[in-house]
Amino acid sequence: MNSSWHRRHDLPWLVLFVIPAFVIVVAVQFYPLAYSAFLSVQDWVLTESQVPKGFVGLENFVKELSDEIFRRSVRNSVLITAGALVLEMFLGVCLAYLTMGSSWRMRSIRTLLILPMVIAPVAAGTLWRILLNSRAGLVNHLLSLIGIKGPEWLASPDWAIVSVILLDTWQWTPFVLLVVGAAIASIPDDLLEVAAIDGASRWKTFLYIELPLLMPLLLLTFVFRMLESLLSLDSIYSLTNGGPGYSTYTLTYYIYTLGLRSFDFGGAAASSWLFMIFATFSIGLVFWYQRKDW
Amino acid sequence: MKRGRSPKQRLLALGHGVILFLACLVVLVPLAYLVINSVKLPREFLTVPPTILPTQVTFEHYGELFEDNKTFRHFRNSLTVTLWTTGVTIITGTLAAYGLARMRLSAKILAAVTFIFLFIRFYPRVTTVIPFFLVMRELDLLDTVWAIIIGQLGITIPFVTWLMLVVFQDLPAEIEEAAVVDGASVWQRFWRVVLPIVMPSVSAAAILTAFLSWNEFLIASSVARRKASVLSIAVAGFVSDKGIQWGPMAAMSVVMIVPMIVFALFAQKYLIRGITFGAVKG
Repeated sequence: MNSSWHRRHDLPWLVLFVIPAFVIVVAVQFYPLAYSAFLSVQDWVLTESQVPKGFVGLENFVKELSDEIFRRSVRNSVLITAGALVLEMFLGVCLAYLTMGSSWRMRSIRTLLILPMVIAPVAAGTLWRILLNSRAGLVNHLLSLIGIKGPEWLASPDWAIVSVILLDTWQWTPFVLLVVGAAIASIPDDLLEVAAIDGASRWKTFLYIELPLLMPLLLLTFVFRMLESLLSLDSIYSLTNGGPGYSTYTLTYYIYTLGLRSFDFGGAAASSWLFMIFATFSIGLVFWYQRKDW
Repeated sequence: MKRGRSPKQRLLALGHGVILFLACLVVLVPLAYLVINSVKLPREFLTVPPTILPTQVTFEHYGELFEDNKTFRHFRNSLTVTLWTTGVTIITGTLAAYGLARMRLSAKILAAVTFIFLFIRFYPRVTTVIPFFLVMRELDLLDTVWAIIIGQLGITIPFVTWLMLVVFQDLPAEIEEAAVVDGASVWQRFWRVVLPIVMPSVSAAAILTAFLSWNEFLIASSVARRKASVLSIAVAGFVSDKGIQWGPMAAMSVVMIVPMIVFALFAQKYLIRGITFGAVKG
């Protein structure tokens, strides 16, 4: 009995193991993806017709790209994601350093700090909707205690964007904290000790030794958070519902409402494929980075 | 830490403590305020300044939620979806991961598989929501928990397969060699030898799946808005143009959040493992 005999006899079993998962993923992910590619070149608004009205080439794409709300949604998505990412990466890395260590106290603090992450994004949205109420909300009340007149958070177009950024930051900074914290803990101690013996300050040790080591992971975390923030729908749905007006429509929110409220299936599919090009590029970046580590 | 610290060090330690204390407040105060709001009298809602400590604790909002069976149904649906999704995902995902790990795939195929996993995790899911809605309509499954479960499986299975694939690949081959010599079948090796060893990772994957499923909104809201509606849809439903019912909205959010927070505190080790692992290794 040798190992190649075993390999040959194992294979049918192994294939059998993979089949259920494979079938489900193809049926639930790849078939709808192909279907959506088909829809993107069809003229189909459900309220006008029960079946697709026919092939229209790239018309849906042209229509979307010149659509005022589509463009505004792209702009909002970029603003929100950029704002939230800068805050999350900065605060997350700082907090990861401040909560280092395995003492009982630090572990409890870490446990507490990651709570926002386990909350359903829809519920986090309603929670902040209560807090940010401009007249009777807790946030403006606390601001007034230190003499600041708080803005009309959810009623003003610009502050509504800031509100979404705050919510994203509140909920997902813990993610950066967790991932970066785990990475810091895995940096060998002797490396830092050598630096300390050489008389390097804490800041220099961070800048020249730890930061370069953490860089690949920070980039990865950045792209992860970027994609997830771009794709998030639930929190905006319950915090601002896209409003006031269209001022917090993100790309995801726009596609969602176009498809499931206006039932413009062709337009929604076309805009999601425009979105897909960008996402695939970013996913490729993550992929390339991970391969390099192997 | 050495004794007898200089004033500068003490100041730093104090600053450190203050920042951490503030960070904890930023997390805790909103949560506490939500709970307070869920037991406030209706007239104390839109007061200026806000009523931070209500004069009286009332459970009327919870009562209102649970009086017409609707919330019970949401809760039951959420639970059904979470249990089914987690169960099916863990079984099929772990098996598939073991299969892929032991197939001795070439590096190229493995790279392609990796890319597919990453892609499914991060592509704009809103793309497939409408086709999925149409498929479910075709199969007459709209507004059933099955539509939600099937939709979620498409996300959670690749996720868990990927997590477990890395775990199985890291497992030393010697562990199974003895069983191979004894003539154990693949199934026996998987069930008796490998599975007990990787059980902690399986638990982490299961807990993470349960969280994803319980909190999921996009798929649920697109295929099941009425009968099969779940908690996430109910919470989002309070935001309507007709004005907000603050009390019930807060109470419903608490109903949705509390089980997950309790769960997170108990299963913390596994949850953290699942999250950091999923991020670092993809």
